Amino acid sequence: MVWKKVVTVPVILGLCLAGFLPAHAAETIKIGVVGPRTGPAAATGAAFEEGIALALDVINGEQGGVLGKKVEVVFEDTGGTPEKAASGFEKLITKDQVVVTVGESHSSCALAEVPIADRYKHPLIIAEAWADEITAKNSRYVFRAGPCNSGVVKDNLLGFVKDYGFKRVAIVAENTDWGLGIKKLAEDGLKAMGVEFMTVETERQSQDHYTELNKIAAFQPDLVLAFIYGFGVHYFIAQANETGLFPKKALILEGAGPPSLWPEFWQNVGDAGNLELFLSRMHSKVDFNPVSKKFREAYTKKFGKEPTDYKSRSVYDVLLIAADALRRAGSTDSEKVVDALEKTNLEVGSGVVQFGLEKGDYRYHQWQPPMLIVQWQNKEQVVVYPMSVKTGELKK
Amino acid sequence: MPRRRTQTLQLLMALGLALFPFFAGDYWLHTGIICLFYIMMASSWNLLAGYTGQVSFAHAAFAGVGAYVSGLAAIHFHLPPLLGALLGMAVAAFLGLLLGVLCIRMGGIYLSLTTLAFSEMLRIIIDNEYEFTRGTMGLSVPFILPVYSKTTAYFLMGAVTVAVLCVIRSIVRSDLGTAFRAVQNDETAAASLGIHVVKVRLAAFVISSTMAGLAGALYGHYHQLITPEILSLNLMFFVLAIAVIGGMGTFVGPIVGAIFLEFLSEYIRIYGQFHVLLFGLIALAVCRFAPQGLMGLWQRRMRALSS
Amino acid sequence: MQDLLLYCTNGLLLGVIYALSALGVSLIVGIMNVINFSHGELYVLAGYFSALFARALGLPVLAGAGLAVAVVFLFGLLVERTLIRNTYGNDMASLIITFVLSIVLQNAYLLIFGPYPQKPPNWVDGSTRLFGLFYYGNQRLAALGAGAVVIAVLFLVVKKTWFGKTVRAVAQDREMAAMVGVNPDGVNMLSFALGCALAAAAGVILAPIFPVTPTVSVGVSLTAFIVVVLGGMGSLGGCVIGGLILGLVQNLGSAYVSSGYKHFFGFFILLLVLTVRPTGLFGRKQL
Repeated sequence: MVWKKVVTVPVILGLCLAGFLPAHAAETIKIGVVGPRTGPAAATGAAFEEGIALALDVINGEQGGVLGKKVEVVFEDTGGTPEKAASGFEKLITKDQVVVTVGESHSSCALAEVPIADRYKHPLIIAEAWADEITAKNSRYVFRAGPCNSGVVKDNLLGFVKDYGFKRVAIVAENTDWGLGIKKLAEDGLKAMGVEFMTVETERQSQDHYTELNKIAAFQPDLVLAFIYGFGVHYFIAQANETGLFPKKALILEGAGPPSLWPEFWQNVGDAGNLELFLSRMHSKVDFNPVSKKFREAYTKKFGKEPTDYKSRSVYDVLLIAADALRRAGSTDSEKVVDALEKTNLEVGSGVVQFGLEKGDYRYHQWQPPMLIVQWQNKEQVVVYPMSVKTGELKK
Repeated sequence: MPRRRTQTLQLLMALGLALFPFFAGDYWLHTGIICLFYIMMASSWNLLAGYTGQVSFAHAAFAGVGAYVSGLAAIHFHLPPLLGALLGMAVAAFLGLLLGVLCIRMGGIYLSLTTLAFSEMLRIIIDNEYEFTRGTMGLSVPFILPVYSKTTAYFLMGAVTVAVLCVIRSIVRSDLGTAFRAVQNDETAAASLGIHVVKVRLAAFVISSTMAGLAGALYGHYHQLITPEILSLNLMFFVLAIAVIGGMGTFVGPIVGAIFLEFLSEYIRIYGQFHVLLFGLIALAVCRFAPQGLMGLWQRRMRALSS
Repeated sequence: MQDLLLYCTNGLLLGVIYALSALGVSLIVGIMNVINFSHGELYVLAGYFSALFARALGLPVLAGAGLAVAVVFLFGLLVERTLIRNTYGNDMASLIITFVLSIVLQNAYLLIFGPYPQKPPNWVDGSTRLFGLFYYGNQRLAALGAGAVVIAVLFLVVKKTWFGKTVRAVAQDREMAAMVGVNPDGVNMLSFALGCALAAAAGVILAPIFPVTPTVSVGVSLTAFIVVVLGGMGSLGGCVIGGLILGLVQNLGSAYVSSGYKHFFGFFILLLVLTVRPTGLFGRKQL
């Protein structure tokens, strides 16, 4: 009995200790990715995985790795909740010892990650979290090569309302950082343009929108801006159609993008999805440059289908940016990587990336990609805005 | 076990825990701190559920009360986090008393459902009053100490955990502890012995909620981020699973359960989302086949060995 | 005025739906004194199966729904036999075990069906103009009809048939029923499975309107608990009234007070009822 203990106790202790020892002599360079693989926005995680696979093919293939080593990606799930995102991000830095982290698709998660990036002096490149505050915090270690609320509202939404002459706009927004932030910007913009508007807030996970829709219908808008990221917007569109609001009386412009491209979209909305509008960074007929063309061809070859969810390319882009900065820094030291990132001048799928360097507001360390407004017309995507690249006419 | 061996063992464990931060590295230190939080949560829940037989679903909610009160006080009134934690604990105690007075008389299923309703109401309020609480986006709060250091946080959490455990141990061994068990086993018999059933239950409920409030406040300031997730049924499930797997109604059970589950969850992290499923299955198996938990199995084994 | 009418219609419709999805909990608590915490998960399971049968196997949507209810009924028999039977007489043990089961099922669904919503095809498309004032989805009206039918059938079964009489006998006095030759174990097993089948019925009726995901189950269970407590534990009639009250309060509250607080009102009522009149509005059991 005693002997048994003499053997088992050290074995158990040994096993425990083995876990504490950090992994030594990394043979690869690790880049972290944060994003929702579970939870209501898990489809974004799936798109990220595709983008990661394609980016690694490029970085480790034709570019021959980074600093003489292969690049390895560690993808940490955030579940779309800030708490999980913060602890996951910390694990990437302290346990997996990644040298730079990219990704993110929820503003609330990104905002929870910014102080951690500061604390560990760890470079973080955001791909798809839009809240202005993320870069407005002016952290030396945080960059964003993706849309921000201000950019989206000023460059796209307000122009769309103005150029197509909409008169009365209803805004429905989820009560999260992103939803409330972009709602405020849209309200201010519409007020300045002298367009009549009204606002309703809703829950991201809500499945029943009849009450909200009744309030909207009473206002008699000709356009509804829906800022709901997740399946909630599917139910909203289906019910707007049931209650006779859309598309008979008003068009709906979904301001988050991918939910209108998720595989469940047509299952959930049925024929009600026709004529719905959404924001996108990508369209199969609009190639911004050679990189975006290369991305589309590589995607089609690897996955045997056209890329739909544009967030696969968003994460592809930030991974290319990270690899480029590591190469130019000549080291994995975070201060040098940050200096290199500030000097970025790289063509990626969405355009030529150059980060803003003037401190003060959200433009610091921010690069705004061009965005498109797309309309579903008989299950075909038709670009209707900006006017310069449109592939068809807006239908009402 | 002979007394001397028990003492040696305790000494060794204390030494191990004291030296832990110096060889563990940031990541495992973090795991250790979270583990201490779960020990406090599960032990205090066990004091109520395991000893008096009242299953409260508001335990995570009281941790949330502690965390939010302390965090909001720090942000809006610049209260130092350590004082804030005391305030959070006091508010949790007060709310525990109020809720207890409302529902403890009915006991049983009614208490479970009332605490469930309370916890959901609290979550909805926090979600909706985002101008004050920052809602689902989470509240960023200052670190528990003026300077950021995981090692100090570990020792602080450790000291509080030991204090909480000592209080629980002395309660369990006191007359009050005897009354707890009497109330659980047979209310009518307990009443006929002159035990005031409602008062005893209320005492257990308030003590347990107060401890949850303290644990939650420290946890929030350690994380520097408080989200409504802390009030969720997910956290409640984790606390319940720890107590059930470790062994309800035993002093050591929740401690063993917390260490077992927290470190297990780190080893199986590669399976990501499915570790909750695994915990659930373990808890289900324990409920069905070993209602006394790991401690029950251990005791049975010791008894079998000694006879 | 038009608004009020719309909110009341919506409230009544959701009320019938809430009543329907709470009947299973009420039946089980009335007969066995067990709160089934995994009620919502069974609702979701039926929703998944009906979507699967209709979309993957190509069954007609109503046949798929019926089959889904039958599968969940069998699952209920299994759960009672393996997990619940040992816990009779110990309310807390059954509460804990069904709570753990609910978490296990949620995570199993995530593994099997993924996080995305699953939706069986609509039974009917389009919408109808009600009272000449507003449009209302036809699928919602169909769900209202189907829900009313299920509730009526359940009442007939419990009040008029031999099975109903046996069940009521067991609920009122176990020992007495056993003495006159009723097998309480068999009745328990059957009633538990019937409660699960009622959850399933609610699931298949509602899934076309509110597609199922692994976590919607939590809301379903919580709503069911509110309705059951409101109406009085174990009272089927109280359950229907409780559902209607909850539906109205939620809709009027979210329309005129705050839509963010929609679910708050239900819990508030629950707390109020429990403190003022713990046996509910029509409570017949003194627990």
